[in-house]
Amino acid sequence: MTYNRSEISDSIGFSEIIDCKFKTNLLKINFITELTADTAAENAVAAGILATSNSNFKTFTELNAKLAALYGSAIYAEAKKRGDVQILSLCASWLDNRYALENEDITAEMLELFSDCIFSPNAKNDAFDTDSFNIRKKDVLDKIDSEINNKRSYAISQASKIAYSGEPAEFSCYGEKETAMRVTEKSSFEAYKKLLANARIEILFVTAQHNADVAEKLSGSFSSLVRNEINKCALTSQSAIKDEIAEVTQQLDVNQSKMVMVFKSLSDDYTALKLLSTVYGETPFSKLFANVREKLSLCYYCASNYVKSKNTMFVDCGVEKDNIDKARTEIINQLDEIKNGNFSDEDIENTLMSIQNSLSAIGDVPSSYTGWYFGRFCEGDCRTPDEVFSDYKAVTRERIMNAAASMKLDTVYVMAQKEVQD
Amino acid sequence: MNKEIIKCRRTDDSCVHVKHKSGLDIYICKMEGFSTIEALFGTKYGSINTMFKTSEDKEYTTVPEGIAHFLEHKLFENEDCDVFELYAKTGANANAFTSFDKTCYIFSCSKNYAESLKILLDFVQKPYFTKESVDKEQGIIGQEIRMCDDNPEWRVFFNLLGCLYENHPVKIDIAGTVESIAKIDADLLYKCYNTFYNLNNMVLSIAGNIDVDDVLKICDECLVPCENKGLETVFKEEPDKLVSSYHVENQPVGKPLFNIGYKCTSGTLAENNRASSELYIAAGVLLDSSSPLYRKLLSDGLINADFGFECFYGDGYSTLIISGESSEPEKVRDAVSEAFENAKANGINKEDFERVKKSAYGSMIRELNNVEAVANLMINSSMEGVGPYDAVEILSDMTVQDAVSRLQKDIRADRMALSVVREQVTDK
Repeated sequence: MTYNRSEISDSIGFSEIIDCKFKTNLLKINFITELTADTAAENAVAAGILATSNSNFKTFTELNAKLAALYGSAIYAEAKKRGDVQILSLCASWLDNRYALENEDITAEMLELFSDCIFSPNAKNDAFDTDSFNIRKKDVLDKIDSEINNKRSYAISQASKIAYSGEPAEFSCYGEKETAMRVTEKSSFEAYKKLLANARIEILFVTAQHNADVAEKLSGSFSSLVRNEINKCALTSQSAIKDEIAEVTQQLDVNQSKMVMVFKSLSDDYTALKLLSTVYGETPFSKLFANVREKLSLCYYCASNYVKSKNTMFVDCGVEKDNIDKARTEIINQLDEIKNGNFSDEDIENTLMSIQNSLSAIGDVPSSYTGWYFGRFCEGDCRTPDEVFSDYKAVTRERIMNAAASMKLDTVYVMAQKEVQD
Repeated sequence: MNKEIIKCRRTDDSCVHVKHKSGLDIYICKMEGFSTIEALFGTKYGSINTMFKTSEDKEYTTVPEGIAHFLEHKLFENEDCDVFELYAKTGANANAFTSFDKTCYIFSCSKNYAESLKILLDFVQKPYFTKESVDKEQGIIGQEIRMCDDNPEWRVFFNLLGCLYENHPVKIDIAGTVESIAKIDADLLYKCYNTFYNLNNMVLSIAGNIDVDDVLKICDECLVPCENKGLETVFKEEPDKLVSSYHVENQPVGKPLFNIGYKCTSGTLAENNRASSELYIAAGVLLDSSSPLYRKLLSDGLINADFGFECFYGDGYSTLIISGESSEPEKVRDAVSEAFENAKANGINKEDFERVKKSAYGSMIRELNNVEAVANLMINSSMEGVGPYDAVEILSDMTVQDAVSRLQKDIRADRMALSVVREQVTDK
């Protein structure tokens, strides 16, 4: 594998990752911008429209027919958030030319198609085409509406809103329904132009062999953009710890209650904080799994997740309403156990092996490379998984205990089974 | 030991198959350049296998719903410790799943695969069930069942199966119910284990950064030969007709979810596999994102990007399921039905057919470039009685007429049902 990053301009990066084992290519363009209540929805709609049509393939159907004929190639958009930042991604994936049955130049065709989606969208008079716009606006509205369908992720999202209240991270990457309703063909086109002009842009290309055409084409197109002052987004930002724990219970007509506990830390020993979370609740041999699930049989899942971009740790579980207090007590108790050093060297060694196993797997699917190197860009370096693992190995038991001691409970969100009224 | 090399002549991919002296079918695919290893040790035993006997039994045994899944949970505890503790020492990521027709124990890793493989082969061959451990698991699985009950995608799917199937146990939730799992005890678990966890009924599939001979050496060391006991599983006779053509469940959801299902003719697993390939391509022509129907439904605001379809089949059941989110799922159902009836009468466009075939070919190439997908492909195809690369050949040889004939045979308006999960509408 070889990794090369170059800069098209001081705010546009292009990385080529060459790995000959792959039969496919993946090109991902990330637009990094601030997450705000006013702009999140129109940005999400704008990015979505770009993957729907372009000036040559004016409908979703026409574009998809072309993609299907190119051996099921794909062009798609993603909206995500990372801390206080919104990340809009446009992705293209296609088969390597070696697998074309009729000697088609799939790469050249996809590059043209994808480039048109970004630089020659289906728009006129500074407004997106109404059909394409309507499809994507409906998708974004439906995504906002459907958030409640997945009760586990909905509970985490509700807890985030409370934990990050007053910070950009409280907003969904799709925005709120009211603002999404107000997005128009013109406002989303304006958002698209702002993304091209103001967003930090990071491009990643995973391929089996070096292809100068891709870099050349994108470099030419992106360097000709008129760029304004670039959004200075903080990719990591400390979330303030509340003076009093925020406790919110929402009654819903569900069979199982969910509880999300949000802990925050002011420590900057991020590696130890991540290791703490892994020992605590990120593996099937972690403290939460072994005790809350296996020993006390309270939950099917009870897990932790450390979010470095906000220096926050989430613990979530699905539990009977009557057992919520019991689960909460044990979750706190297990964190105290780590704080007090009641864990073995073997726990640390096993956790390190698990982390090493995950890090070594990076590179086995193209998206793991784009995820890793985009993550490194956000961290401000381009270290390899092996280099990052050496940081974990250097963490001592005391640092894990200190990391546990630094965690303060900030928010508890409970989705409770609704009382049945006689 | 005879190593059969199975090749895909269209892509140059290959894997090794060994019928091990223990009775186990072993599939190994060495994938150059990859770091990870994915291993699945599975038995042809899933939630549908509730009635069975071996040559040693006079009568068929009927067991409680959800027992295959319960057994999967319990096998992770051996006499001395929890199996996760053993894997923790190798760094492997271990898991398991129970589906309708199989139970698989999995690990993925990038280091120490030999040790992890020994753990896998060892613990699956050494059951240890006690009253205490069975009682403890009732609480955990009870929570898993409740979690699934709150999953509208799960509910809309099982409600559809309940509409399509009167007797076949595919309609029963894989984990069973809180009531059915309460009937499970250690003796029943041993009975099921001894019946289905016979190596003659099992498959090992391993792909990635491995050495074929090293894998086979470990298998020689760890596998305990089994006598083939002539396992038979049976299902009550299933009528052709539906139970019901419409079902609505109320749940707190943002957007109503729907599953439209066609009950198709079911044959052997290999026949269902081929039929599904044909039906999938035909349905692709009519429903995929480049089809006129998709465009119309999208423009009319009746579907969103979640619209999709799949062929869902197994032993004794075969269906085509179309799913999505819609405020008016009944209109989607009617439009889909009209498109299918029209295609049955007038055929499908050859150019569209070739385009969908090309797209499916691309998906297969992608699958063969992914360690996890290859390991799953080998175990699934083996359990269905087909070769791992047969799907590529079936696709290449498929004609428009094959696809249209499949529609004419399997798609019937009177065997179509609609399942919906939506928020309860309350009068104000």
